[in-house]
Amino acid sequence: MASLSKLVKTVSFRIGALLALSGVLSLIVSIFNGSSILAFIGLGLTFWGLIFLSLKPKKYVEGFMLESVAISEYSTIDRIIRDLKCEGNGYYVPPFPSVARVPEHLKALSDSVVFVSAKKDFRIPSVESMVEGRFLLSKSRGVLVSPPGFDLLIQIEKQSRISLAPMDPGQICDILSRYVTENFSLAKTMQIERSENEVTLKLSDSMFTNLYYPEKNLISVGLIGCPIVSALACALALSTGRFVTIDKHVLSPNRLNLEVSYRLI
Amino acid sequence: MYVPLSLSDISLWLAAMALILLVTSELLYTMPDYSSRVIIDKKLLRIVALGCGIGFIATIILLYS
Repeated sequence: MASLSKLVKTVSFRIGALLALSGVLSLIVSIFNGSSILAFIGLGLTFWGLIFLSLKPKKYVEGFMLESVAISEYSTIDRIIRDLKCEGNGYYVPPFPSVARVPEHLKALSDSVVFVSAKKDFRIPSVESMVEGRFLLSKSRGVLVSPPGFDLLIQIEKQSRISLAPMDPGQICDILSRYVTENFSLAKTMQIERSENEVTLKLSDSMFTNLYYPEKNLISVGLIGCPIVSALACALALSTGRFVTIDKHVLSPNRLNLEVSYRLI
Repeated sequence: MYVPLSLSDISLWLAAMALILLVTSELLYTMPDYSSRVIIDKKLLRIVALGCGIGFIATIILLYS
């Protein structure tokens, strides 16, 4: 009932109801009068009224809310990194493609993870630790965290109804940039340049650029990237089957454009 | 007491509506910069536009069959 009263209060509902009612009235009068002009007017008003009523605004949130929600996750990862004194990089571990047939006990390997190494020298985490879903790795010296952009990639897969696993990196990059800019409106433009071992992402007017502001002082954003940057890293790891690390990020002086360099290992 | 609209009248009306809605829908899809500020269900708009277009073609088939 509360949602109905809320709906009645919206301007689009009022306009729609007014148009539809006057349209129906006009149609009834036209039937009694035999006037085709009134019938046309009635038909048009009813039609546009119904369109106004049915084309309800989608559920949406203000852009700054996305950043506010994400910032707590990054702060938590920051605390962990500081506490464990991790000085290494974030490495996106290539997952098993979801379409691949793997034994039941290895199913966890189809989830993407980021390995944040404690030291600069990089040691691959063991398969057992990833299968068991461990967080703290004693042998490889580092932590395994869930990438913030993995769910974004899953959403793109769901909406496009295409499995991204068997695609080549070029195709995945095209789909990702189309969905990020056009469907989800998370950034104004998204350009991806690829070479053999390096990928450069150029984002403009992204919803998550605020996370990179120096005053936020978030180490984890540089290591694992914002959700869009992370989604591309997951996609690259998935399609190439190689470890992906974020080399550097550069925020433009006007704080609108972001350039991120990835390295494939 | 009768509906003062013939099939050809409805056909013309459907054509006009389909044209307006199809052009609007196409503009919304091809200009993401502007359409991101328009908070409406674009998919539904496209379905209605296509429905009008199909309705128009159906009336044409009925008129000339």
